[in-house]
Amino acid sequence: MPIMTTEPNQLFGWLPSAVRRALRWTCTRAIGGWLVFLVPGTVLAQSDGGRSLVIMPAAVILDGQQARQHVLAEKFEQDRATGPADGVVWSVDDPAVAQYKDGVVLPLGNGQTVLRARWQDQQAVTPITVRRAAQPIEWEFRRHVLPVLSRAGCNQGACHGALAGKGGFRLSLRGYDPEGDFFTITQESRSRRLEPAQPGRSLFLSKPTGAVPHKGGLRLDVASRDYQVLADWIIAGATPPTSADPVLQRLEVLPDRVALAVGQTQPLIVRAHYSDGRTEDVTDWAKFTSTQESVAQVDHGGKVRVMGPGEGAVSVWFSSQIAVARILSPYPFQLTADVYDRALRANFIDDLVLEKLRELRLAPSPRSSDATFLRRVTIDLIGRLPTEEEAQAFLADASPARRERWIDHLLSRSEYVDYWSYRWSDVLVINGRRIGAAEVKAYYNWLRHHIAQGTPWDQMVREIVTARGDSVLQGATNFYALHQAPEDMAESVSQAFLGLSINCAKCHNHPLEKWTNEQYYAMANLFARVRTKSPFKPPVAGDGFTISVEDRGDVLQPLTGKPRPPSPLDGTPLALDDPRDRREHLADWLTSTENPYFARAITNRVWANFMGTGLIEPIDDLRVSNPASNEPLLSALARHLVEHDFDLKALMRLIALSETYQRSNEVLLENAPDRRFYSRFYPRRIMAEVLLDAVAQITEVPDEFTMIGNIGMDTRKTDEYAKGTRALQLFDAAVYSPFLATFGRNPRAIVCECERSNTPTMVQALHLHNGDTINHRLQSEHGWVSRVLRGKPQEEELVRQAYWRVLSRPPSEPELARWRDVLQSSSGVPTQELAEDVYWSLMSSREFLFQH
Amino acid sequence: MLDFTGRGYAHTCDGQLRRDFLRVGALGALGMALPQYLAARERGLVKPGHDERSCILIFNLGAPSQLDTFDLKPQAPAEVRGPFKPIATRSPEIQISEILPRHAELAKHFSIVRSCYHTGAAVHDAGWQVMQTGRQFAGGIETPHAGAVAGYQLGARSDLPPFVVLPELMGRGGGNLPNGQAGGFLGKGHNPFALMADPSQPNFRVPDLLPPPELGTVRVDRRRRMREIVEQQLAGFEASDDARLMQQNFEAAYRLMASPQARAAFDLSQESDAVRDRYGRNRFGQCCLLARRLVEAGVRFVTVNTFLTVFDDVSWDIHGSKPFTSIEGMKNIVAPMYDQGYSALIQDLAQRGMLDDTLVAGLAEFGRTPKVNPAGGRDHWPQCFSVTFAGGGVQGGRVIGASDPMGAVPADRPTVPGEVLATIFHSLGLDLESHLPGPGGRPFPIVDSGIREIRELF
Repeated sequence: MPIMTTEPNQLFGWLPSAVRRALRWTCTRAIGGWLVFLVPGTVLAQSDGGRSLVIMPAAVILDGQQARQHVLAEKFEQDRATGPADGVVWSVDDPAVAQYKDGVVLPLGNGQTVLRARWQDQQAVTPITVRRAAQPIEWEFRRHVLPVLSRAGCNQGACHGALAGKGGFRLSLRGYDPEGDFFTITQESRSRRLEPAQPGRSLFLSKPTGAVPHKGGLRLDVASRDYQVLADWIIAGATPPTSADPVLQRLEVLPDRVALAVGQTQPLIVRAHYSDGRTEDVTDWAKFTSTQESVAQVDHGGKVRVMGPGEGAVSVWFSSQIAVARILSPYPFQLTADVYDRALRANFIDDLVLEKLRELRLAPSPRSSDATFLRRVTIDLIGRLPTEEEAQAFLADASPARRERWIDHLLSRSEYVDYWSYRWSDVLVINGRRIGAAEVKAYYNWLRHHIAQGTPWDQMVREIVTARGDSVLQGATNFYALHQAPEDMAESVSQAFLGLSINCAKCHNHPLEKWTNEQYYAMANLFARVRTKSPFKPPVAGDGFTISVEDRGDVLQPLTGKPRPPSPLDGTPLALDDPRDRREHLADWLTSTENPYFARAITNRVWANFMGTGLIEPIDDLRVSNPASNEPLLSALARHLVEHDFDLKALMRLIALSETYQRSNEVLLENAPDRRFYSRFYPRRIMAEVLLDAVAQITEVPDEFTMIGNIGMDTRKTDEYAKGTRALQLFDAAVYSPFLATFGRNPRAIVCECERSNTPTMVQALHLHNGDTINHRLQSEHGWVSRVLRGKPQEEELVRQAYWRVLSRPPSEPELARWRDVLQSSSGVPTQELAEDVYWSLMSSREFLFQH
Repeated sequence: MLDFTGRGYAHTCDGQLRRDFLRVGALGALGMALPQYLAARERGLVKPGHDERSCILIFNLGAPSQLDTFDLKPQAPAEVRGPFKPIATRSPEIQISEILPRHAELAKHFSIVRSCYHTGAAVHDAGWQVMQTGRQFAGGIETPHAGAVAGYQLGARSDLPPFVVLPELMGRGGGNLPNGQAGGFLGKGHNPFALMADPSQPNFRVPDLLPPPELGTVRVDRRRRMREIVEQQLAGFEASDDARLMQQNFEAAYRLMASPQARAAFDLSQESDAVRDRYGRNRFGQCCLLARRLVEAGVRFVTVNTFLTVFDDVSWDIHGSKPFTSIEGMKNIVAPMYDQGYSALIQDLAQRGMLDDTLVAGLAEFGRTPKVNPAGGRDHWPQCFSVTFAGGGVQGGRVIGASDPMGAVPADRPTVPGEVLATIFHSLGLDLESHLPGPGGRPFPIVDSGIREIRELF
C-alpha cells in the first residue's frame, strides 16, 4: 500500500521551515480501490503509532471584518478522525493578526500567522491569513441574506415558503428563486418591508425579532450576527442578486469521516467554496440531518452524538447543496487482527468488505457448504433450483475449481437470459396495462436479444434513450411510450438509469438534494423535441405509434417562462439552437465513464440481486444524502464495471466468486447485530417468480398463464404463453397470477424497485398451506409425486429424494431419525397422501422459501 | 379440552395446542394473544372501561375536497365555493355538502374537525405517512401505523390478528415513499393482516382461509410435525427479521384456521341481503360491513382503504384531468358510495350498541386547493382539511375548529396529525405518555411530548 507525500512548498512557502516540514498531505491509496483520501489539516511529524492531532480546516483564511472560522483539533488514527481532543490549549503566534475564542478564529489585523493547538504531548498547527480586516463585508443577497432566512426557517414549507405564503408574505421554498424573493422583499407591499433609513423598523426585521407581533414567533435575536447581516444589507441599499453572483461550487464538511465511541460527540464545520475563490464558514447557516438516528443524532449547531454502534451519516444542506459526514462507531466485540488475516479472500470485494468489518469490529462468518453455495448461486444467477442430478454431481465433485466452473456454466445457460430479461423488465416497466400487446412483445424481445448477446449495459441504455421509429419494429421506443411528457421522460431516465429521484425539483429546488428547479428543466428540455405520433389522440394502447425527433421546440421553465439550455443533470448544456438530437448528448453524458451515477446505479442493482441488501438501500435511491454502507466497495465495483466496458456478466462473476457472497448465514456472537455490512449471508424470501417456477420444477406440473389482468380488475384471455412457460419467461407484469400477486411481484406501474416486495405475510402462509399452488401440483396424476410412487419407493428413500429435489441437499442423520419417528405409524410403503405431505412439508419450510 | 391450572397455563389433551399457544405468545402482535393483553391491562397500558374499545379508520385515499364535503363556503367566490350547495343536517351545528345526504341524517353521531393541517409535502405518500402514523418519516425512522401501535400495546383480543387492513394495502402514491401502513420500527411482525380480496365479489371468501377438504385434521397435524423437522435446522435464520416473520405468519395462520369464530368473522354470507344492500354492493361498502364483523369478533383496529391508488382509478383525487378523477366523478361515483357505506356503518354500529366502543375515524392525506383549477378540479392542499370522528366516546353533532373564509388555512383551533392520532389512542384507552421500543431500543413516545387528544370531541 504505497503512501505518497508531497511538500506543498509553493502554497505555504512563507511559513517557518519547521512548520513547512511538518505540513504534509497524505494520499492513501485504498487497497485495490484506487480511492484517494485527502487528509485535511496539518500534522506534526512526531506522531506515535499512526496517532496524530490535526487542526481543521487545513488553512484559515479570513477575508473581511466579520469573517470567522470555526476550528477543531481532531485526533487522528492513521487516516481517520477519531473525535475532538479534550482540553486543547490554543494559541495564535501573532496576536495582532487573529484571535482564537471559543472554537472560532476571528480577524484582528491583516497578515499571516499560525494557529497552534497543544494537547497532551502533541501539537498541531494551521496557517491563518487575514485580509481586509478593517473592511466590512458587503453582504450579498444570494450568498448571505437567503442563507440567514433559510436558517431562521422563514422560507420553510410551514412558513412563508408555503405555496401560498403566510400572512401575505410569500418566499420561495428554501430560497430556490432568489430573484423572486428579492422582488417580494423589496418591492411588494409598497416596499414597506424595508426601511433603509431605520432598518430596525423594517417589517423584514421587526417581525422576526418580535418587535411587531409575528405569528411565526421569535426567529431572530437582535444581538445576533444574522440580524446584523440583514440590517447591514438593508443599510447598504439592499443590493439585488445578479446573474454575475459567485456560484457555490462546493460544500465541504469537516471531518467528513470520523470514528467515534458510543456516547461521544463531534462538532462539524461546514465551509462553502465559491467561484470567486472565496471560502466562507457557513456552519451556523447549514441544516444538519441524520440519516440513521439509531447510530448518530445531530443538533441544530452541527454537533453529532453517537447513539449506537454501526455506521451513520449526517447530511448537511446549505444553499441547495449537500455534503455528507460519515459517522462510524465500532461494535463492542473483542476481536483480534488474525480474525481478518485468516479470513478467505477471492478478490478485492473481500478485501474491502473485511476492511469495513475490521473498522466496525464485526466478525466474518465462515464459508458456506457446497450444497448451500450451489443452491444460492443457481437461484441468483439463473432463477432456478439446481436439479436433483446437478446437486448430486456437484456435491460429488472434489475439484477445487468446482465453484468457479459452476458459475461459468450458469452464465452460459439459457435460463440466464430468462432471468435477467425479467429482472431488467422491472426496471424498464414492461407492462401490458400501459402499452399494447404487440409493443410489449417488441419491447421485451428487444431486451431479451441484448441480454442473450451480452450487449454492454451502456449500449443498451443508449439505444433506449435515443430510440426512434415504429413502436413494434423498434422495441426500445416503448420506454418513451410509457413516459410521454418531457418531464416524465427526464424523471424516468433519472430514476431507472441513475437511481436519482428528481421529481421534487419540478416545483422547487429539491429540499434534501442538490437538484435545482433549473437543472430539472434543463434535463426535461433534452426531451422537448421527442414526438409520439399515433393514429389516435391521445395514443391508445395497442394502436402503435412512432417516435420521432423534431428540430424545434422547448420546454419552458414555469418560474421564468423561458427554456433552460438543455443539459443532463450535472452535465454541460447544449445551445438552444443546436440542431442535434439532444438525446445523443444525454446518452453521451449518461454512459460516460466519468458519470458518477450511471455505473453505480446498475452496480448497486446487480449487487443487491446477489446479496439481498444493496450497498445503497433502497437500491434505486442514490441521493448524495443516502450514502453506501461501504463506499470504497461501491466505487471499486463501479470502476470494475467501467473498466470491463459495462459487461454485467463480468461483474456478476466477480461478485459470485467472492468469499463475501459465499459466506454462510451462520450467526456469530460477534456479527449478530449486522444487517448491512455483509459479515454473513442474510436469508431472504425468494422472489415470487422464482418460487413459483421452483414449485413447478419440483412437481413437474407447469403453470398456465392464460389471462391478462389483476385481482379485482378486468381480465382478458391471452394465448401468448404456451403451456410450460415459466413465470420468469413472462414478458408482461399484467399476466394474471394470484400467486405472483400474493408473493409481491413488481407490478411495473412506475419506475421503482419499491414496487417489488419480498416481505412474508400471513396471506402467503395461508396460500402455501391451503391454496392450490402446491396442493394441486402434489395431487396431480401427471405430476412428480404420482410418478415417483409408481416406482414403489420405501419411505426413507422417498424422503431422501424429496430433500434433494426440494432443498438440494441430503437429509442429515438427526433429521432422518426424526422422520422415522413421524413415519413409524405407517406401513413402510408410502401412500400418495403421505408422499404429498412429505413434499408439502419441505416446500413450505423456510429453507425452501428462503434464499440462504 | 381446555383447563386452567393455578398458574394460568392453558392445556389441551394432546399438549400440542398448549405448547404452540405459548410459543406463539412470545412472538409479535400477529401471535400475541389473550395473556399478553391481560398483561398489558395489568401494566396499566389500557385505561379501565376501555377494554372493549376498537377503531375503524376509514382512509379516504386521494384526499377529499374539504370545500365540497364537510366545510362548504357558500359565501366564497364561485371559483372557491365550487358547484355544490350546503344542506342542513340533524345537528344544528353542522351543514355539509348536498353530495352527502345520508350523512346529514346521522349528523348527531359524528363530529367534524375543520381545522386539520400538516406541514408535509403535498404528495399523497407524505400525507399517508403523517396521517396514519402521526409523523413524517425522517432520519431513517419509520413510525408505526396507529393500528400497529394499538396491536403492540393491546395485543389480540381473539384468534384474529389485532390489526387488519381492508381490502388491500395502499398502492404507490407517486412520491415513491413508504405509505405508513405498516409496523414501522415496531417490526414487520406488527404489519397489518391485509385481506387481499374484494368482499363485494360474488362468492367472496378470504382466499385460502381453510384447508382443502381432502386435508383432514390428521393430515394437517402430520404436515405440521413434518415441517417442524426441517424448521429445526435453521439456526442461521433467527437473525433474519423476514425469516422470523415467515414463521410467525405460519403460526398465526394455524390459529386463524383453527378458530371457528375467526372464520365466521370473514363470512359475509352470514349477513342478510338487506344488510349487504344497505352498505352498498361495492368494494368500499362491503369492506365497511366486514370491518364491523371483524370488530365484533375482536379485531382491535381495522383500516379501510376507500381506494387503492390515485392512478387510473376513480378516487377522491379530483384533479379534474386524466389519469385522475373529475369533480363529476366525485359527485356521481365517489361521494354516493362513501355516503352509503359510511352511513350504513355508523347506523349499524349504533343499532347493535357497538358505537360507544367503536371509534370510526374518517381521515385523508390532505385537503384540496381552495380555488378550482382550469381543469375544473382541485389539487393537493395540506394547509387545511376536515376529518371526522364518530363513536368510541366521541360526542356527535359537533364542529371543532374552523377554516378561514376560503377554506385555505385554519382560522380556529389548528389541529396537527399528532392530535388526530392522540384522539384515536385516547379513545382506545392508551396512555398518551407511554412509549414504544424505538430504533436502537430507545423509548419512543407514542405521540410527541405535549400532544393531547382533541378534547372538544369527548
